[in-house]
Amino acid sequence: MKAAGIRGVGLVGSFGCGTGALENSLRKGPKPPEDLVFFVSGRERRIPVHAVDTSPLDNFVSKREIRRIDHFSRMALLGAFLALEDSGLTDASRDSLGLIIATGYGAIRTTFAFLDSVLVDGDSFASPTLFSNSVHNAAAAHVAIQLKITGPSLTVSQFEMSVSSALLTALRWLDQGRVERVLFGGVDEVCSVIGYCHERFFGDSGGRIQPFAANRHTAVAGEGAAFFLLDRQEESRYGLITEVRQGRITKAVPFPEKGSYIINADGHPGCFSLYRQLFRPEAEVAAFANHYGSFPSGQSFDLAIAALALRNGIFPSISGQEEMPKGWRYPGVVGKKGITCLKCDGEGYLGAIGLKGG
Amino acid sequence: MTLGRSVAVTGAGCLCAAGANLQASLKALFSGIRIPAPPSLFRTSHSLSHPVFEVPESFFPQELPAENDALRTARLAIAAAGEAFADAGWRSADLASLRVGVVIGTTVGSAMNNEGFYREFRCGGDPDMAPIRRFLRSNPAAAVARHFGLNGPLQTVVNACSSGSDAIGIAAQWLEDGICDLALAGGADELCRTTCNGFISLMISANEAVRPFDRCRRGLNLGEGAGLLVLESPSLEQLRPGRVRARLAGYGAACDAYHLTAPHPQGTGLKRALAEALGCVEPEAIAFVNAHGTGTPDNDRVESIVLAEMLPGIPFHSTKGFTGHTLGAAGGIEAAFTVACLGMGKIPASIGCDETDPELPAAPVRHVTATPGRFAVSQSLAFGGNNAVLLFEKGERS
Repeated sequence: MKAAGIRGVGLVGSFGCGTGALENSLRKGPKPPEDLVFFVSGRERRIPVHAVDTSPLDNFVSKREIRRIDHFSRMALLGAFLALEDSGLTDASRDSLGLIIATGYGAIRTTFAFLDSVLVDGDSFASPTLFSNSVHNAAAAHVAIQLKITGPSLTVSQFEMSVSSALLTALRWLDQGRVERVLFGGVDEVCSVIGYCHERFFGDSGGRIQPFAANRHTAVAGEGAAFFLLDRQEESRYGLITEVRQGRITKAVPFPEKGSYIINADGHPGCFSLYRQLFRPEAEVAAFANHYGSFPSGQSFDLAIAALALRNGIFPSISGQEEMPKGWRYPGVVGKKGITCLKCDGEGYLGAIGLKGG
Repeated sequence: MTLGRSVAVTGAGCLCAAGANLQASLKALFSGIRIPAPPSLFRTSHSLSHPVFEVPESFFPQELPAENDALRTARLAIAAAGEAFADAGWRSADLASLRVGVVIGTTVGSAMNNEGFYREFRCGGDPDMAPIRRFLRSNPAAAVARHFGLNGPLQTVVNACSSGSDAIGIAAQWLEDGICDLALAGGADELCRTTCNGFISLMISANEAVRPFDRCRRGLNLGEGAGLLVLESPSLEQLRPGRVRARLAGYGAACDAYHLTAPHPQGTGLKRALAEALGCVEPEAIAFVNAHGTGTPDNDRVESIVLAEMLPGIPFHSTKGFTGHTLGAAGGIEAAFTVACLGMGKIPASIGCDETDPELPAAPVRHVTATPGRFAVSQSLAFGGNNAVLLFEKGERS
């Protein structure tokens, strides 16, 4: 398999908009999460979440064009525009551009808003606008329409493995010459139901993700969109994606034993225990979910941080680094073996994305 | 894309309202039997009844009883997967040593929309988490892999109504690149009150039995089911000669970039996807086309325009008159039908088309029709402007 070059990166997260905002967060420390308010058994509940402001989308699309577009698709649109802008290829043909979006739960706010329209007013008053925007590939449709992308379009929902799974196909498209470029993004959103689920499943997170906490849940729900313009160039300022592995950890899908690792440890001790089993002593490991939050497609933000580290030749200097398990250390200069972004889920599946300098 | 070495299809499984398995479904198709009925799985308060195509409980294998910890979509997928593996001659024990990928398309099967849970939550209640746990355990690709003990890569495709076709095309690409030795691919979807209300709100759900391509077509009937194929890499196929039912010779996909729910009026994306799938295969070599044929005015008009222009004179039919529109499952079910019909050398009548539409430049077959030829096409259109086309070639087991 040939490597894919990362030509552009577009980010929107609780840290702000653009790669500079993420680098700023890494340097200065993550913003504290906001409160999400809902009611359970008549009592007000306040759950910390990493929420996103999509108002910078006004810089790319008129308000009129996006008035019926929901928060999920706005995040996707903003990430997509930023990635394309960052690549410097805004005028390139979109005929041979493919589009792939990875999402754990899709436009979940709109899914529940559609149910609201039914539950409040009755079946006959179900909202067609909300229904059509609740379909998982609605964001891809809006991106394709706004950016006039007429190549193949794919939306993948493989929960925690969504990013690595979708990236497998993105690299196939490039490798087989189906398209010249792929606009690839991970998107997920938070809502009150997600906040409620977090509280019921995990209890009080303490309001701050501690990626290396081994014995308690610290997951804080988040949302965002991380997009990448990928192509077949062998040189790229953000480096190359050289390998993607996804599957249950077995002989068939071996653990990649090389380089430095960015793990998507986002405050779930069950998943973290898998990382602890996998790594050799003295492993170079970093985790950054405390800067963007816990959500299924969060690995796409790790991919962005790996791309930035490859561009800079060094891992970001961070403030507020959490205490690591004994023997592990934070990576410094990016070595020849590159970086592996690693995600483990609760069922023993692994999603690994290998990158190196280009 | 033209698939360089053609990926082998060695097994097919299907469960839908037409039948409990592929053979039973084909028998219903060629007998002209269809049984749309009001939904029994849920109720709505619409003034008009909108018939659906439900899978009766008796169609599920006995070893797959209804259970509380998996969505119906996952159960449908597991049932079809079992049939497909058996058809291909694979036992679970043999699969353990292979890299088996699972690529399944769905819509409802990946939507967190449990109405009972949400009703209680929005009223300020403290709902039980069982529906959420069930949803999280029911990702179709993961549920199938867990059931059969498969270890390879997973992908649940959520491209709306082209999901099943896209899943098969993507699995073929994975096999060609050596990501896995064998892939199970297709689609699965269940009937759901939320989806039913959605399609009625869009005014594209008919309150009578669906009539694809008919002059008086009034929209679609929803359905449910699963259709899955076993695809094998060239190296694996060579170890078991004589097993090939068909070959996936091409896959094309393109986006209209035009509208969220309506196809491009001239079918620009469909034309591109069809051209990509056909590659160098001449139209004369195509035996038939299994059209998307939902029975909505827009879909059928666009497909008719594209088929008249790109495959003039080639017989085509819609099988949604027998199955309903099974959404994410449709591409998988129709791929299984296409593989089987290609082997049989005939296609069933496009049921529901009683009076051809003079405004359409091409009309489907209205009788059982002999279709000699090496290749057949199955095509899907979807919300989001997605278009996906599969090209199958006869195999030695045909």
